[in-house]
Amino acid sequence: MHEQVVSVMPKGDEMPRHANAHDASAPEQVGARFTYPGGSRPLEGYTIKRGVGQGGFGEIYYAISDAGKEVALKLIRRNLDVELRGIRQCLNLKHPNLLAIFDIRQDTAGDTWVVMEYIGGGSLEDLLDAASGGLPGDEALAWFHGVATAVAYLHDHGIVHRDLKPGNIFSDEGVVKVGDYGLSKFISCSRRSGHTESVGTVHYMAPEVANGRYGKELDVYALGILLCELLTGRVPFEGESVGEVLMKHLTAKPDLSALAEPYRGVVAKALEKDPARRFASAGEMIAALPGPSQVPPGGARVGSGSANAASGRPDATVSKPTIVLAEPVDDEPILRAVLDAWHQLRTAWRDARLATPLKLIILVVGLFVVLAMAGTWIPLLIVSLFAYGVYRVIRALVRPAVRAVDARRAAAQPGAKPPEPPRAEHQAARHESRRRWHRRQPPAKEVAAALVAKPPRQRLTELVGSMLGAAMVALAMCVVMVLLSSYQGTTTRPEQAAWLALVSVLGSWAVLVPAKFWEGTPGEPMLRRFVMMVIGLAVGAAAFGMADSLLVSLPPGSEYPKPPDYQLPPSFFAGDGRPLVMAHMAAFGTLFLVLRWWRQADPLRSSRLSLWTLAVTGVVAAVVAGVWHFPQPWLLMVAGSISVAVQMAAPWENPKAVAESG
Amino acid sequence: MNERGQRESNRRMLWVDAVGGYLVCLADQVTLGQPIHGRGVDVPILGDLSGRHARIVRDGESYLLEAIRDARVDGRSVERFAPLREGSRIELGSAVKLVFRRPHPLSATARLEFASRHRTQPTADAVLLMADSCILGPNARNHVVCRRWPQDVLLFREGDAMYCRTQGEFRIDGHTHHDCGPVGPNCRIEGEGFSMNLESM
Repeated sequence: MHEQVVSVMPKGDEMPRHANAHDASAPEQVGARFTYPGGSRPLEGYTIKRGVGQGGFGEIYYAISDAGKEVALKLIRRNLDVELRGIRQCLNLKHPNLLAIFDIRQDTAGDTWVVMEYIGGGSLEDLLDAASGGLPGDEALAWFHGVATAVAYLHDHGIVHRDLKPGNIFSDEGVVKVGDYGLSKFISCSRRSGHTESVGTVHYMAPEVANGRYGKELDVYALGILLCELLTGRVPFEGESVGEVLMKHLTAKPDLSALAEPYRGVVAKALEKDPARRFASAGEMIAALPGPSQVPPGGARVGSGSANAASGRPDATVSKPTIVLAEPVDDEPILRAVLDAWHQLRTAWRDARLATPLKLIILVVGLFVVLAMAGTWIPLLIVSLFAYGVYRVIRALVRPAVRAVDARRAAAQPGAKPPEPPRAEHQAARHESRRRWHRRQPPAKEVAAALVAKPPRQRLTELVGSMLGAAMVALAMCVVMVLLSSYQGTTTRPEQAAWLALVSVLGSWAVLVPAKFWEGTPGEPMLRRFVMMVIGLAVGAAAFGMADSLLVSLPPGSEYPKPPDYQLPPSFFAGDGRPLVMAHMAAFGTLFLVLRWWRQADPLRSSRLSLWTLAVTGVVAAVVAGVWHFPQPWLLMVAGSISVAVQMAAPWENPKAVAESG
Repeated sequence: MNERGQRESNRRMLWVDAVGGYLVCLADQVTLGQPIHGRGVDVPILGDLSGRHARIVRDGESYLLEAIRDARVDGRSVERFAPLREGSRIELGSAVKLVFRRPHPLSATARLEFASRHRTQPTADAVLLMADSCILGPNARNHVVCRRWPQDVLLFREGDAMYCRTQGEFRIDGHTHHDCGPVGPNCRIEGEGFSMNLESM
């Protein structure tokens, strides 16, 4: 457990400390009406000097003991089910980040008073109100560490705070102090007795509170909301009424796009609806964050907050990448594309409704293939890694000038999707993968528009990722095909398998590239078909070129009916029945013409991998091969590989996630 | 009335509910220094200072800092006197730092705030060097900014007496007044959306 005292530097040398002494007054009442005026002595030994604030539970006063000790006196009004046990447990807790409780007293009227440490200068709530857009990264982290350390201490002693919010957090000359622990029972009493609740307390309330469950995870949830507010200045769930905010806590996904990693991941985990999925303790949450570095003196300037507000939002958002950003992975497109392709594959692997034995076979065979072809790809890999290394070095030299421009551009485009959609999509897809969405949903216009409005750089990144993914899937599919065909009796030669793999890869790329440009737009089908046919002709020619250079012969399968020899036109076929370039082009051209390939790569398709689509593709391929006398079953296998590869590799927007966020 | 009694009656504590506590000095000259009993310092500061470290003198509309011990204003060492303007930074001794403010253009009343972590004895959120008037309310140029008050409240002096003025009805020690009413050294002022206590020291 962290025992260090975490310090938040005071408001700076040039900024006076107690300028206007905003106390932590409640937002709901304009005219603060305090029961006890200055000078009253409801408790023996203390003289009230003035009221400090009001909350949902009662009033707080600033008082001085007869000897001169400053204290805060909190009046807890008499309730029918007064429970002193909660606060009694907290009486003897001591921690540098906890507001000290000195005593609990009862006055002659029967009211309960809590005598506690007085801290002037306002609460974290006042600081956040004054500084729009959140606090600078180091300061926010220092605050958070102080609060989380206090909460960890409370949890360690079996106490759940239950009412964590900026109004209960103070800074005592740089030391974070958390107050109001142990008082939550009173809060719940007063809520039930019908006092008006300020909407403020609801913003930090975990969803399971509605079921009456009060565990440590409650505080973890509140810490997540607090961290988000410290960094961005806003809570993730806002609303016009208490009910609206509560509904959002229960059902809505928080919008964490303003946060950078690793904070976004930490907040997301803390804000899980299911308490069992959050961090188990505040200590775990601290461990997941970078430690607060030395806060520079005068770092916590309330004045700078208003300067931000005066100059407008872009100032705050531009500064964010340089302060809050602690990206473990540099935002490098090629690497990101590779990683995204990897993520996509993994998601596709999970989403594809392939039986487990089949998956196992694919994995094992894939491993074999990789090892078998080691001679070819290892030198290639080495060369490409070297080239990539050079590229990274050059990029790092050129980069710093570019980054600021990018950030400003990103800030200036509030409508543009943030550059993290692939990862976010995968997260969403992973969540939803359990609940399959079988009904076809009409694509939302906004999503389609967003697809059209995608910046070209992002499009390119996705495309490269898909192409890499398609290549890998095509290879795997070819291995599968080979296995299947060998099961049927015909053994496949390695060069035939290689041809199959290469043509599948080429074919899938030939589908992905135009589909990427046609994303989101309905387009003219005949025009697209024509374009695809032309592409298909090119693919066919290339396929023949590969077959010729690799000296691959594609004998027709034994079980397929052989066409009568006299029917084969000489320009298309060689004397022994081998298809020539024209035959290849004709077959592939027709294949690409007939099927609407771009639909298989459409992000808005109803499911990622559709076996129906695969079946249709197969049947059409078989028919086309039959028409052009292309030796079976090669065209069928190629078409099948291309279809599977394209569907698995092309990005896919889960309609459920779309419906939720829309 | 002995000298100490007279000096003490020149100071008040103004306790403003939900805003803060302020040390109000009514005299034209105030001494700043350590709170040594019997010396009668006007602004006792818990800091590494002498018993009488410096004096702030009000001459009509302008203010001067008279350095008895080492003092600096805006970084420059003070020989004997230095003028004080809005935003002047006063350093007493090695560590005590104050900021001098004259927020309201129509009033000679000034406010002293701590820029270092020192405090007065008794603790006050700021020191008000009251000339003729002291304005409290939501306006940012007031001597005491009370963000949530619906309107400004004025405390002003005429000779030895002090009065409170604000729009509408308000109560002083339970007695209702309209627009204006006299205020004693110890009293409670309550109105629509505001309340405060004056305590003589």
